[in-house]
Amino acid sequence: MTDLARMIATKAISPVEVVRAHLERIAALDGELRSYITVCDDAALTAARAAEAQLMAGGPVGPLHGVPYALKDLYDTAGIRTTGGSRILGDRVPAADATVVQRLAQAGAISLGKLNMVEFAYGPEGLNPHYGHARNPWDRAVHRMAGGSSSGSGVAVAAGLASGALGSDTGGSIRIPSSLCGITGLKPTYGRVSRAGVLPLAWSMDHAGPMTRSAADCALMLRAMAGYDAADASTSVLPVPDYSVALTGDIKGLRVGLLRGFFLDGAAPEVRATVETAARALAGAGAVVDDVNLDHMQHVAGASLAIVGSEALAYHAERLRTRAGEFDPDVARRLRAGAYVTGVHYVRGQQVRALVRDAVDGALARRDVLLAPSTPIAAPPVDARQVELGDGPSDVRAALIRFNRPFNLSGHPSCSVPCGFTAGGLPVGMQFVGRPFDEATVLRAADAWQRLTDFHTRRPVLG
Amino acid sequence: MNDEATDLEILRRGAQLAGFTWSDAELLEIRPLVMAGARVLHSLEDAPVADMEPATHYRTV
Repeated sequence: MTDLARMIATKAISPVEVVRAHLERIAALDGELRSYITVCDDAALTAARAAEAQLMAGGPVGPLHGVPYALKDLYDTAGIRTTGGSRILGDRVPAADATVVQRLAQAGAISLGKLNMVEFAYGPEGLNPHYGHARNPWDRAVHRMAGGSSSGSGVAVAAGLASGALGSDTGGSIRIPSSLCGITGLKPTYGRVSRAGVLPLAWSMDHAGPMTRSAADCALMLRAMAGYDAADASTSVLPVPDYSVALTGDIKGLRVGLLRGFFLDGAAPEVRATVETAARALAGAGAVVDDVNLDHMQHVAGASLAIVGSEALAYHAERLRTRAGEFDPDVARRLRAGAYVTGVHYVRGQQVRALVRDAVDGALARRDVLLAPSTPIAAPPVDARQVELGDGPSDVRAALIRFNRPFNLSGHPSCSVPCGFTAGGLPVGMQFVGRPFDEATVLRAADAWQRLTDFHTRRPVLG
Repeated sequence: MNDEATDLEILRRGAQLAGFTWSDAELLEIRPLVMAGARVLHSLEDAPVADMEPATHYRTV
């Protein structure tokens, strides 16, 4: 996105050419990849022609002028259906754009369309029986999970069907597909980006954020998206910095806490070794890396279940009463299970949330960022149910969300970046976690890592 | 009453308390998930929360 924005602004390339090239690539590849639910060909080309005319007229342009991106299909878009990955909302056409969509449009970005996702964002595998399972582009022979719930966002960015995308993250739904698809995804601090006009999964855990090919691209998108919004009471009035300025490439003296115990011990051996190698490389570049354990991680699963189960069921209760047969059966089962969470469980979950928040704050008191694997495994086959982790067998769903949920509970910002590849050629992701509202340092660390390595520049072979 | 019938009756009453009326087939379908979830939720009682005030989420100025 950063390069495209510069080339378009300097008239080195036409936004019409860029949009047309993306639409041609979508037409050629997305029948197999299934990353889009709705492609907005005509609207995108119309917007691109307008952007080109504005440039030629010499008027002021925004930081993303003419740059195409795509949106997870839970962001409201005026006049364009927003399904939440469901059949139930298959014909739902919002009257207004989500706040974030408005802001990206003001920055000049052009929407290519709406991206596939897990129905109502309730699941980390990236599967969708209504619109087809998005396919991980890194393996042409085996149909592997893209990760979810922002599956289409991960696939579209990895496969070059969008230069950047919007995702949302309630238990890892930005970072899991970013990890499995080999891209960069940022879950900002809770309250940094408005959720107004975004279909909720669990209000108190939902985060909206960018998914791109680099930390620099995330910085560019976040600057355009972030900030107070009267339509979302959780948003902060703290000023939004220019995150790109923070990307100095300098990590000398940056204090990095490598999360062991629950995190590294739980990762599959190949993932653990890859992240440990990355930590050594960061230390070699001048970062001050030490080991740290986070307390209370054994209670994260219960707290997340209590909070997400209750909030998700509350949101979908009426649909579950009247249109249960139209849900993905797997999603319906999980929603129904939320009926057995009691009020006491919910409050206990919120108490554990305070414990986890304090534990993460404590670890960051003397460190700038924490480092952990984003997922304990690389992309499994779509029919996988059990996987082997560093500390024993695990249900694949629990495995995928394991390292992400703590930071949805705590609200801390976290950025997943590619940090290597398995022997089988699948991407491995690691996440930098920072202090609340200090996305600048998180992105600085992620960008510095990407200046040291080329993992984020590698592309799957397609077509 | 056998265990399965007991489980179903408990599940049915729980669903009714939450405002739902589900068939036996629907209850049987979710039973493994509910049982597994109950074990995870029960573990919350081991959390050292004492009288800690519940957090909602980060709120700032």
